[in-house]
Amino acid sequence: MNYETVIGIEIHCELKTKTKMFSGAPVAFGAVANSCVNEIDLGHPGTLPCVNKEAVRLAIMAATALHCEIDPLVKFDRKNYYYSDLPKGFQITQQFHPIGTGGYVEIETETGSKQIRLERIHMEEDTAKQFHNEEGTLIDFNRAGTPLVEIVSKADIRSGKEAAAYVEKLRSILNYLGVSDVKMEEGSMRCDVNISLREMGSREYGVKSEIKNLTSIANVQKAVEYEVARQSEILSNGGTIVQETRRYDEAQKATVSMRKKEGNVDYKYFPEPNIPPIRLDEAWIKEIQSHLPELPDARKARYQREYGLNDYDADVLVASRELAQFFDAVCQYTKEYKMAANWTIVELSAALNKANLKASDSPCDPKHLADMIHMIKDATISSKQAKIVFEEIMKGKDPKQVVEEKGMKQMSDSTELLKMIQEVLDNNPKSIEDFKNGKDRAIGFLVGQVMKASKGTANPAMTNQLIKEELAKR
Amino acid sequence: MEQMDKAYIQKLANQLMFDLNDEEILDLQEEFVTLQKQIALLEQIDTEGVEEMIYPFEAETSFLREDEVSHVISREDALRNAKAVMAGHVHVPKVVK
Amino acid sequence: MQLSQYHNQDVKQRVYEALEKAKALQPKLNAIVSFAQDIEEQLEALKQIPKNAPLYGVPVVLKENVNTKGLLTTASSRILSNYIPVYDACIVEKLKAAGAIIIAKSSMDELGMGGTNLSAYSGPVNNPYDLSRISGGSSGGSAVLSAADVSALTIGTDTGDSVRKPAAYNGVIGMKPTYGRISRYGIIPYASSLDHVGYFTTSIADAAVALHVLAGRDDRDMTSSYREVPAYETLLNSDLKGKRIAIIDNVQNAIKDDAILANFNQLIEQLQKRGAIVEHVSLNEQLLSVLLPTYFIIANAEATANHSNLDGIRFGMREDGESVEEVMRHSRTAGFSTNIRKRFVIGSYSLFVENQDKLFRKAQKVRRLIVEEIKTVLDQYDITIASATGSIAPHPQDSVDEKLSDTYLIAENHMIMGNFSGYPSITIPCGFVQGMPIGVSLMAKPFAEQTLFDIGLAIEEETGLRGQIAEVEA
Repeated sequence: MNYETVIGIEIHCELKTKTKMFSGAPVAFGAVANSCVNEIDLGHPGTLPCVNKEAVRLAIMAATALHCEIDPLVKFDRKNYYYSDLPKGFQITQQFHPIGTGGYVEIETETGSKQIRLERIHMEEDTAKQFHNEEGTLIDFNRAGTPLVEIVSKADIRSGKEAAAYVEKLRSILNYLGVSDVKMEEGSMRCDVNISLREMGSREYGVKSEIKNLTSIANVQKAVEYEVARQSEILSNGGTIVQETRRYDEAQKATVSMRKKEGNVDYKYFPEPNIPPIRLDEAWIKEIQSHLPELPDARKARYQREYGLNDYDADVLVASRELAQFFDAVCQYTKEYKMAANWTIVELSAALNKANLKASDSPCDPKHLADMIHMIKDATISSKQAKIVFEEIMKGKDPKQVVEEKGMKQMSDSTELLKMIQEVLDNNPKSIEDFKNGKDRAIGFLVGQVMKASKGTANPAMTNQLIKEELAKR
Repeated sequence: MEQMDKAYIQKLANQLMFDLNDEEILDLQEEFVTLQKQIALLEQIDTEGVEEMIYPFEAETSFLREDEVSHVISREDALRNAKAVMAGHVHVPKVVK
Repeated sequence: MQLSQYHNQDVKQRVYEALEKAKALQPKLNAIVSFAQDIEEQLEALKQIPKNAPLYGVPVVLKENVNTKGLLTTASSRILSNYIPVYDACIVEKLKAAGAIIIAKSSMDELGMGGTNLSAYSGPVNNPYDLSRISGGSSGGSAVLSAADVSALTIGTDTGDSVRKPAAYNGVIGMKPTYGRISRYGIIPYASSLDHVGYFTTSIADAAVALHVLAGRDDRDMTSSYREVPAYETLLNSDLKGKRIAIIDNVQNAIKDDAILANFNQLIEQLQKRGAIVEHVSLNEQLLSVLLPTYFIIANAEATANHSNLDGIRFGMREDGESVEEVMRHSRTAGFSTNIRKRFVIGSYSLFVENQDKLFRKAQKVRRLIVEEIKTVLDQYDITIASATGSIAPHPQDSVDEKLSDTYLIAENHMIMGNFSGYPSITIPCGFVQGMPIGVSLMAKPFAEQTLFDIGLAIEEETGLRGQIAEVEA
């Protein structure tokens, strides 16, 4: 039997605000437990919610970037359930009137680009953080009330790869917008995947399982692929899928059951009576929409169109907002875009990774990298020397100063270089003979000897050329 | 209306995180019969095309709170009313049998 | 006690006299749950308040659902019987800024969910005119303390008629202003879309001063109004010439007590003599017949959600259990009385997805029809008038609490219309029947509190009951 995989994804993102969704207490990650709360976050009797303007602004940015239609009349509802991490016994969310509806995310697949349609994007509040141990449960309410957006896709996703591409793309967009930290490992972006299988060609949905606890994009793909295999094996053997919540276990590399779902839970949604409908100023919405930062797709297109980068380089740069921003900064000082891209993608990324730094915290001044690129280009330094210079500019140094201090000007003076080449050739008659006998390798050896003699300052291209010329003469 | 049997009413209560005793359940069964009659009265009222009234006044607001830290309570106050506290957290211990 | 009687009296002395009186009466009335422990600190803080502040040095009693930082606030429920708020309600700040000294917290029906004050965790409150009769509720304690001359201003809240009914039973003025006029921040709720802060005084002049102090926009309550607060007390005008008054015939026709009717009719004649234009109106009887079920469904649904925060985890009484869930279940089972738990079940039931259309949403639609009916009348009249209750304060065994019944009790329930509509409404004492006080109920257009005070003043002048108090032997 051939099955089609049907996947829908719900993503929760913490918004980067200074205060909570409904209270003026600070939002802080990693603060001392229960130090960033007030009576509202703790659900004390008599407290009332008060909507955070910045959270609405960030939600409008996200909804706009995802091509959603914005509802200018903001309303909230109560989602009722009891859990010790939910102080009020209900969560304030936007069940009936989400701020954004429709919209889509475009992903790249093996067969070209594909639109994953969105159901909705809405604002809500986060729960408290719990730690379970042998003796019971410890609760830290700092996270309670943190603003969230939930982005719900339609069931348009068909594979683990697409699922990963969708999450990756969404993360990148939200990161570019600056609306969220989008750190899956820290929980500022959380991802729930609904998967079901159905017979190819069928329009009915199969029984789904929901996978939680996906702490990386790689895990999204692995979990989906595992789950697809698991479900299809059950179905192929004539079994039935049980509706349940599963989590991805990294150690086992498998999804494991968390709890069975007994029908649908009734959250008894009803409109929040303490928040009247909020009419957003159309001019404010337009202003937010017209000041959106450049998004990944637009930036990639620009890199290809204006900088002539290839698809791969553009993708790699755009994949990290910080890296792309650094690259853009370098490009303000040089027109050697391809070289700037290479150095940013290869050397800078590696150095930053090693130092565990983000590109936005790079100690290297983009102008210094541009200057160094020019030095390579006009053969002031060799590529080999450049690596040494790069190490220094990564410490914040000016490349001109580095070259001067280390006395590493590349030997590009042909008279001087020629003199050195003559000496090398004189000392290596065997190599000349090899060359004459058709062994091209000998040139490499001779270039190496010249480089050695020049302590690496010889311009390799020029050396190569001159050696060939001299050999021809002998 | 669903069968308002004892188990069903206890389930309704348990969803709200409390229990009812037999007498309370019996009372509720009677009250649900009354409720049923009242629903019938409500059903006689024509509400075709009438919007739900959620707030006494339906004037829209344009007020949104500025994103500035305005009020935070001390950790001591946050934990003051909790019956059990451990390591700065609200603690819900398990009962050791 | 009236504010004007406090002149030229030592503040400290008057506060301690009020306290002593309250303590002496406590065995008889049982109106107080706890006395303030910080009188000296409050008197010290008073030094920062200008002497001409409207409530300078006035001892004030708050209902048990008004949060007071550091002072026990139980909402007369076992589950909050150990709750020490960490913040002050908005009105506490306003009262203190106006110079008030909070001397005690008064008894109420459990969580405000009653009309008799028989359900308070600290026991029933007795009527000062006849200790064997009920005070009415839910703001029974505050009504009784006003009537017993403990304080010129006592605070209550009104979700159905919880200020106005006990005001009638105890012969004092009970004021419920327009929804949104006084901030609800810090008031332990019953049903958010029906809850109002109200209060008791013994004169219209004091009621006007009190509203001037308590009213005004509070950003912490998004439903609070931006409308300017007039200096009601300086604008009082009891001229009734041309004032249009509508008698609600449905209520008067339902009253069986001839003495109450006679008193009412005499008052109407007096108002007419002063130049008022009094006419009879009939509201749609079918709508009035569902007043109570409509109220019951909306109020209990909202209450179920509002009180989901009472779980024993972060505050309140906690019972042991083997899991978090068990702790919550045991705490809530022991924490709420039978009646409250039953009402939560009905409230929750009416919110189930499959029931909302015929219960919760249906009731909300009927609420709109009822409000439209009232609006039609008040478009043509300055106020509506009716007897506040169909009987004098009953004995406990004869009392009917907020509960669904097959009997149709419009005379006892009509004041709920003020909560459905949010329109301002006041109860004013208008005489005695069998030695017990009775009252008349007025309702005006939204934010027309001045109209209520003006016509109320005329009524007060006609009845001569300004400053009426009960003599209770301690």
